[in-house]
Amino acid sequence: MSDAVISAGAARRRPRAKRLKGRAATGTVVTLIMVALVVFWQVAAGHAWINGQLFGSPLGIYKAADIGLTQGTLIPDTLTTLIETVLGLVIGSGLGIALGLLLWFVPRIAGVTEGFAVILNSIPKIALGPLIVIWFGSDMTSKVWLAGISTFAVAMISSCAAAREVDVDLLNLFRSFNAKPGMIFRKLIVPGALPWIFSTLRVNIGFALIGAVVGEYIASQSGLGHAVFVAGSLFDLNTVWLGIIILTLMATLLSWIVQLAENRIISWKTKR
Amino acid sequence: MAAPSSQPEAGARLIVAGLNHGFESDDGVQTALFSSLNFSVGPAEIVSIVGRSGAGKSTLFNLISGLLTAQAGRIEIGARPDGTRGRIAYMLQKDLLMPWRSVLQNALLGIELYRKVTRADIDRARDMLARYGLTSVLDAYPQALSGGMRQRVALTRTLLVDPTLVLLDEPFSALDYETRLALEDDVMSLRQSTGTSVVLVTHDIEEAIAMSDRVILLGGRPARIEDSVDVKLSTQGPRTAVSAREAPEFRTLHKRIWGGLRSNTIHHAGAST
Repeated sequence: MSDAVISAGAARRRPRAKRLKGRAATGTVVTLIMVALVVFWQVAAGHAWINGQLFGSPLGIYKAADIGLTQGTLIPDTLTTLIETVLGLVIGSGLGIALGLLLWFVPRIAGVTEGFAVILNSIPKIALGPLIVIWFGSDMTSKVWLAGISTFAVAMISSCAAAREVDVDLLNLFRSFNAKPGMIFRKLIVPGALPWIFSTLRVNIGFALIGAVVGEYIASQSGLGHAVFVAGSLFDLNTVWLGIIILTLMATLLSWIVQLAENRIISWKTKR
Repeated sequence: MAAPSSQPEAGARLIVAGLNHGFESDDGVQTALFSSLNFSVGPAEIVSIVGRSGAGKSTLFNLISGLLTAQAGRIEIGARPDGTRGRIAYMLQKDLLMPWRSVLQNALLGIELYRKVTRADIDRARDMLARYGLTSVLDAYPQALSGGMRQRVALTRTLLVDPTLVLLDEPFSALDYETRLALEDDVMSLRQSTGTSVVLVTHDIEEAIAMSDRVILLGGRPARIEDSVDVKLSTQGPRTAVSAREAPEFRTLHKRIWGGLRSNTIHHAGAST
């Protein structure tokens, strides 16, 4: 019996090592291509093969970053957008997930609510931007609202579905043990929905970021969206690029954090 | 409600009397699944219910386990000798282990759902898992286990709630032959160890004969009990999954039940042999 376990473990370890090696190789290739593109971009801009005014250049972006740091606007702008995004993501997704899961208790109401959520989800949320700025002003609050609204419906719909799609046989097993609904919810619905919740969170990082940045485009005094918008209207392409790069890094960082949390919380998925 | 035709013996673990059940299709047509089923299961008795697919075996299973409510008739779970309520636990072909729970936590699920898990429960779970050779994987997740090991964890989970009656719905049909024989032995040994009664729903006649004290043949539409075969085997040594299959009576019983199933298919008017 234990032999079987050990050999099964060994059999799984080998492909895993191979997978890691494969991942490292892919990473190297991606990095090489990126470096080559940046070098080509710089050379092309330096030799005026492309219009530096219209395309910017890597060195120009570096200078823009330097200026941003010395003037002391870059870090506050980054923090503003980061805080808006994280607050919107946490509040919007949190409420959506909680509501979506709790609706499991009341399937009839769930049907109606889900219908509304689908309608809400099909609204292009950023179209609500002007409204939200009018209601909540041009400071951070309106961006948190926009980021939150962008993530709420997705979180609710998918956690509602995750709760509903729970294995009927497992549900019957719990019932055969005379489990009360609260028990079923805690011990079956919630843990069973966790993988869906995490994949929703990962998708929502992007939505929250869009909400925050577009909110800043519409009306704001600070934030990366604000900086990009102002630079764009001044044809300062290097600063625009800088903003985009930082936003990308921000999204990567956030999804890395979500991944880390996922690995910790649903360790059973990785620890085989 | 039909009156029970046979007098169920006192102290029965399960009494099914005058059971009628059917379903209504979308266009409102009533289809009867069972008509006046009567049978009972005594203490430490293993009873198999065999029938062709579509005979309503799984519906009967759901009725007995309380997941469905019968339209007419009586399904009664007998009390324990000390007068407290009896308890049913069931096990399916799917092991239904939860991937986020370790082997030990999966085994304790049944207890956890109706009361606080105590030290004694954990010790009992460890002992039972040890008996099934699962000590080395107590803290492993089910994904790391073979099908047979997973089914043994499911069996442990079923037994830890101290059921008076265990319902098994084709529990071993996804396993390889050797593992299946081993698990059949595990179930048969319950008779001696805890006196638990077993109702096994299966289409596998060999498994039914090897394991049971009685085989009930379900057939016809609506389904009724076509035959009830007492299984008495003169095995060499103690009765096990293997020795039972080698008993001289095995072929004869197999022929009788197989014949019953087949005649039932052909005329739909079930003829007892």
